[in-house]
Amino acid sequence: MLSQELGGQGIRQRLRARFRAWVNRRIPPARAVTLNQRRIFIFPSRAGFFFGLSLLLMLATAINYQNNMSYALTFLLFTLFIIATLHTYANLSGLTIRALRAQSAFPGQQAEFDLQVERGKRRAHFALHLMWPESSEDLVNLVTADSVRVQLHTAVGKRGWFSPGRLLLESTYPLGLLRCWTWIDLDLYALVYPQPLACAELPGLASDRPDGAAVAVSGSDDFYGFRDYRRGDSLRQLHWKGLAKGQALQSKQYAAYADRSVWLDWDMFSGLPTEMRLSYLCYWALEFDRRNEEYGLRIPGELIQPGIGEKHRSEILKALALYQVPERHA
Amino acid sequence: MKLLQQVPRNALAWIIISLFTLLAPHVGRIPLWILLIYLFAAVWRIQVYRGHWSFPGRWVKVVMTVSGFAGIYFSFGSLIGLEPTVALLLTAFALKLIELVSRKDAYVLIFLGYFVCITEFLFTQDLLIVLYSLLNVIIVTTALVALHQPGEHQFNRSTIRLAGTMIVQAMPLMLVLFFLFPRIGPLWTVPVKSHTAKTGMSDSMKPGDISNLSQSADVAFRAQFAGAIPDKSQLYWRGLVFSKLEEGAWSSLGYWDVPLAERRQQAVETSGASLDYSVIMEPTQQNWLFSLRYATPDRPGILAAPDFRLYSLAIVEAEFQYAVSSWPEAVLEAELSEWRRKVELRLPRGDNPRLHELAASLRDKSDSDQDYIDAVLTHFNTQPFVYTLKPPLLPDDDAMDVFMFDTRRGFCEHYAYAFTVMMRAAGIPARVVAGYQGGEINPVNKTVIVHQFDAHAWAEVWLPGEGWVRVDPTAAVSPQRIELGLEQAVAAEGTFLVDSPLSPLRYRSVAWINQLRLRYDALTYRWQSWVVGFDGTMQFELLRDVFGEISAGRFAATLIGTWALVLLPVAISLLRKRDTKRQRPVDKLYLQLCERLGKLGYPRLAGESAAHYAERIAQQRPEWGDELRRLSTAYTSLAYAPPAATPDPMQEKVFSRAVQKFRPRKSRA
Repeated sequence: MLSQELGGQGIRQRLRARFRAWVNRRIPPARAVTLNQRRIFIFPSRAGFFFGLSLLLMLATAINYQNNMSYALTFLLFTLFIIATLHTYANLSGLTIRALRAQSAFPGQQAEFDLQVERGKRRAHFALHLMWPESSEDLVNLVTADSVRVQLHTAVGKRGWFSPGRLLLESTYPLGLLRCWTWIDLDLYALVYPQPLACAELPGLASDRPDGAAVAVSGSDDFYGFRDYRRGDSLRQLHWKGLAKGQALQSKQYAAYADRSVWLDWDMFSGLPTEMRLSYLCYWALEFDRRNEEYGLRIPGELIQPGIGEKHRSEILKALALYQVPERHA
Repeated sequence: MKLLQQVPRNALAWIIISLFTLLAPHVGRIPLWILLIYLFAAVWRIQVYRGHWSFPGRWVKVVMTVSGFAGIYFSFGSLIGLEPTVALLLTAFALKLIELVSRKDAYVLIFLGYFVCITEFLFTQDLLIVLYSLLNVIIVTTALVALHQPGEHQFNRSTIRLAGTMIVQAMPLMLVLFFLFPRIGPLWTVPVKSHTAKTGMSDSMKPGDISNLSQSADVAFRAQFAGAIPDKSQLYWRGLVFSKLEEGAWSSLGYWDVPLAERRQQAVETSGASLDYSVIMEPTQQNWLFSLRYATPDRPGILAAPDFRLYSLAIVEAEFQYAVSSWPEAVLEAELSEWRRKVELRLPRGDNPRLHELAASLRDKSDSDQDYIDAVLTHFNTQPFVYTLKPPLLPDDDAMDVFMFDTRRGFCEHYAYAFTVMMRAAGIPARVVAGYQGGEINPVNKTVIVHQFDAHAWAEVWLPGEGWVRVDPTAAVSPQRIELGLEQAVAAEGTFLVDSPLSPLRYRSVAWINQLRLRYDALTYRWQSWVVGFDGTMQFELLRDVFGEISAGRFAATLIGTWALVLLPVAISLLRKRDTKRQRPVDKLYLQLCERLGKLGYPRLAGESAAHYAERIAQQRPEWGDELRRLSTAYTSLAYAPPAATPDPMQEKVFSRAVQKFRPRKSRA
């Protein structure tokens, strides 16, 4: 009994794997996919089968009443169904789906995936339903604009590169009797950071510095001066008041900034499992960023000089996220 | 609600429109309260849409459904039969609107709408109704299209245009299927139309019945002759033969009234050319068919009764076409059996004593049967009898006495009745024949249009050696009726079609109206004979004419061939290239270059600028660096030049030549 079930599951899994391989061959991953007959599947929808049943009923009526106009209407609706296959197909055909970007996220959070749907011909497309397995859905039309941006959200898994799977794009327009769909792999991955884990203090830091924990705890609010805004400056650093007065965008500089730089070191948490180390490091990176203090990262194979700002933070988090993660492309 | 289950506003609007356009042709045959349910349902659903009301609860729905059923039961007296079934369907259609919440409900409504469209054809397949139904199909399809256009809040024409286009594209294939799909017999019995829907001649006749029928301008049937159309006065369309007189009403002999030996029609000797014609009858919900004297049917399913009339085994529920050959001169029933003689002489005892007295006195004065017949006709002709569409009501007892001696105002059935009684009283076998007399000849297509007001009753007497002979006592009273028709016969009275002021027949004197009416009638005839009357036999003949020999291979080839012929152009028109952005030659050249590099293993990354790309490759393959940098700079300046500056054609040409010349090879030099 059990072995049979296992066997059944084995077959199912093998079938699924073969199917996946077939789809991969048919629609290889790409950042932009233009839909053509190789990539579009079409089959009667549930409503289509229901419609077929209604047609059978109509045909029975026509036969039983020997009524020629009923025959004619039944055949008209049947051929309408056939014509609808072309229209349904045309609604997807020629569309290009382009991967724009994927937002990074922490485990369990929703990552945002940005796509763009473009049409190749000046023809209205309706009711394009897009979703990844497990993601939010969206329904868009292309009537006047030639392209439309779509944002889908899906909960990400564990640290590393998260693939949302194959994007399902489907439509039953115009009659709903047929469903046209495609599964495309947009080669779009979201970066998943380690799960930040709070720990009371930063071990080993105290021995490095005389004032010990004070560095980490005290705020860095000794104002020093302004400098012109540079990309990557933290939003918290910005001189909003100045901007409101119509001055150029400037960032505030703090005196503590340069002096109190910290190294987040792999060895600080020696003896702990890799993931936990990464989680602690991640927590502290976020913490220093919040406090607006300079911090650097030193982990095996990666060394990031102390710095501050959004860009710096992303760099650090990316390094943590990709620690010992295999390359995406073989 | 999930995105895909939402019903867009436009879809709702189209569904409500289709609800009413589908109901419209049914209005005459359903109780008025169903119309109120439609209004009620539409108002409720619109109020729900506007957020004022809410969807009905479960109990409200149950109450509405049950009261719908009950209402139909009380209105029709039954739930069985075609009319109550259709009324139920229509009520369900309206009630479903109130609970239209999701797309699934919309599908149910829309498919129900298509079905409602079909039910209309069960009542009539009139050309105008068919055209109207086509419009309905387009409207229902528009609702279906609108259902799949989310977020379109403008009521736009493109939706109905698409639906119309698709229907038009479906037409040719529909025609192919219509003519090729094998016609088979009914699979199971279905609800038939109720008796109240019966039209035309009924199977019993009382004084006043036919004059009532003659108020109607409806068409009874149309006939087309193979040769010349006989004179109008010879067109006596026999439908029913009344041999039985009971309680003041004439009726036909039932099947069981006739002994076994008499059930077969007596053989008739025919000589000379036959009169060939085909008849398309409007539905009557009865069995009898109309034909000229001594008619033989063209196919099984139509039987000839012993009293020489035709009837169909199946009730004529829809337009019915049959072809007939007639021999008007043939002698019918040269030998009268004893049983037949007894039946055709039987009179209720003690009825109409004054009439019997008159018959006896006239018979005494005549030398022969023929003399007696002439004497009776002369009596009608010379006494002050009036032919009228509005005869006075007669009492139940001794009605003919009152008619013959007191009122003396009657329609054809009065004269036929009195005449037949007088014949039987004098020992001459006689019976009343009911049908139509005359008809209107349509010059457009040479058909005879017989209307209900052409309904007529006359008598047949049996004379030795001559068989059954037609005698029309009405002709003795009002010769115009037979020669010119009812309109002229009652012209002085002004009673012709008084109850149908809008009938185009009343305006026959207005030339253009009459022309229009006759043209439309000719179209109707063609429609009925070619499309409505298309059946297995016609199909077989058509296919034989087209294919020569009917084989499965040719069948399939035709089907596939025609479908390809239609589907290909549709596919091409749908998918033909209409690019949104025409690629500029500069971009095309640059993309060619990128492709060339990509093949060598240096693809351009998504979002990488031309300069970055060149720089990246230059680092890996320094030997291409200079040329690549030059090309990408040239491209950038060409592609991103301000739109105001007209691009220098020379510059483009140089760039083009440079790209063509740049042929990197994989192996390192």
